[in-house]
Amino acid sequence: MLAPASLWLLAFLILPVASLLILGFTHRGAFGACEWVFTWDNFRRAMDVKYLPIMLRTVSYAGTATLLCLLLGYPLAYFLSFQAGKRRDLFLVLLMIPFWTSCLVALYSWIIILGREGLISHLLMRLGIISKPASFLGTPAAVILGLVYFYLPFMVLPLYAALEKIPRTYVEAAHDLGAGKFEAFRKVTFPLSMPGVMAGVILTFVPCMGDFLSADFLGSPRTYLVGNLIQNQFLMVQDWQFGSALTSLIVLFLITGLWARHIFEEQGVFEGEGEE
Amino acid sequence: MKRRPTAPRRKKAPQRGGLWGATEKLSRLRKTNGLLAYCLGLYGFLYLPLAVMVAFSFNGARRNVVWTGFTFKWYASLFHNAEMARAMATTLEIAVAASVMAAAMGMLAAYAMTRHAPFRGRGLYAALLNAPLMMPEIVMGVGLLSFFSRVGLPLNFWSLACAHALIALPYTTGSIRARLLSLKDSNLEDAAMDLGATEWQAFRQITLPLARPAIISGALLAFTVSFEDFVTTFFIAGIGIVTMPIKVYSMMKFGVTPEVNALASCLLVLTIIALTINRTLVKETKS
Repeated sequence: MLAPASLWLLAFLILPVASLLILGFTHRGAFGACEWVFTWDNFRRAMDVKYLPIMLRTVSYAGTATLLCLLLGYPLAYFLSFQAGKRRDLFLVLLMIPFWTSCLVALYSWIIILGREGLISHLLMRLGIISKPASFLGTPAAVILGLVYFYLPFMVLPLYAALEKIPRTYVEAAHDLGAGKFEAFRKVTFPLSMPGVMAGVILTFVPCMGDFLSADFLGSPRTYLVGNLIQNQFLMVQDWQFGSALTSLIVLFLITGLWARHIFEEQGVFEGEGEE
Repeated sequence: MKRRPTAPRRKKAPQRGGLWGATEKLSRLRKTNGLLAYCLGLYGFLYLPLAVMVAFSFNGARRNVVWTGFTFKWYASLFHNAEMARAMATTLEIAVAASVMAAAMGMLAAYAMTRHAPFRGRGLYAALLNAPLMMPEIVMGVGLLSFFSRVGLPLNFWSLACAHALIALPYTTGSIRARLLSLKDSNLEDAAMDLGATEWQAFRQITLPLARPAIISGALLAFTVSFEDFVTTFFIAGIGIVTMPIKVYSMMKFGVTPEVNALASCLLVLTIIALTINRTLVKETKS
């Protein structure tokens, strides 16, 4: 009975990802033909001075966006974990709707809001802060804003799942033992929510690394990320070997993250402080 | 439920009366309201683009920002656009095919995982079933593109539908698996088989009907996933396959037109309908 699902996993997930990982190590022959010679060239090229700025920019944008998602999302997840019944359902559904809406839809709207004739420019002119229309598109801030907007639910949902599981009695016990509100949070709630934090960070950081729509529409060529470079390699330049090497780096981040999470779980790092 | 046992303990804390107690209560109230206000603000951030989009889909002006009056003309021009109708039909066909495939595979896999003897590496297999959720879409897209062209698989309707079925598989498997696990406790299948039903009869007459709400809600999520998918489709849709998100993308690249607002608003309404039906079904299975 597992046969159909296994076949699908093999044909549409395992083999494609494996073929990417292999392709990244092959040599690109004349006219883009694939020569089966093992080489590190494609990975070395990714660290080339020409591409290094893009790599560093991607890591810093994805890192900033992930941090912002965590800081913005944690209070929301904390709030949600205290809700119950209809109210909680309502808040969760309201969180799911933007998550399920096509990212293009929201992207288009952000263009309207941030653009030269956009709402923010209009508002600032009305308030007399700026004298002529200004566009906020094409800036690093706009790209990071897009990333935060798209991936915030990816952070909040695992955080909520982890926070919701913490028994209230633990926090009450901490209070009974004389811990203040802040201390109880720092020593009990937060350490116990660490699996959620880890999952949220992985689920936010890795897709941010591979995002190309945000930089494509809200950014400029000066803010292009690895995702844009990959898109370019596959659809324009037709250098699939280099594109595969770049994509493999994203897969590497994903695997490292999952592996780290697994190790932490095995070592019980997550439960460490909470048992005090 | 979880909170109830702790309530009496809270009472044990010394209660301060009078004015001091009142101010303390007030400050606690303000603190929770502060968190509520913050969360509402965050929801405002999430909904601002959606609200702007819907509002401007009714705006008369071609230049987007100035409000010149209420109009339905963008919706009208949308519905009279033959290309748009074709894209809509393609998207629906692919989404139906993908969600049917994902639901069937999800049902079989969930049944095998919950009813059959545990096999070696079951945990790993379950993780693998969830892997499409974790995989960034760009990896799926370029991976499928390079693999398809390497083995000579054509980029057509069916290869796209099959790929969508895989992306949607975690949703159907997850929803059906949860339902089958909760049904397992009721031992209804065991009872049927004790009364002489074969495994197939028990599956047909007991498991399948009882799992139906979960199958439908999973398939609905799968449908939405396929319908909204842009990144993977962008890389592997062959020439001539234009789904709705691809159409929106090319309209956006072409320039800002109010039709995009109207189109995006329609897509938003579809998403909300699908999610609402899904929530109702989930609630039904729970009660």
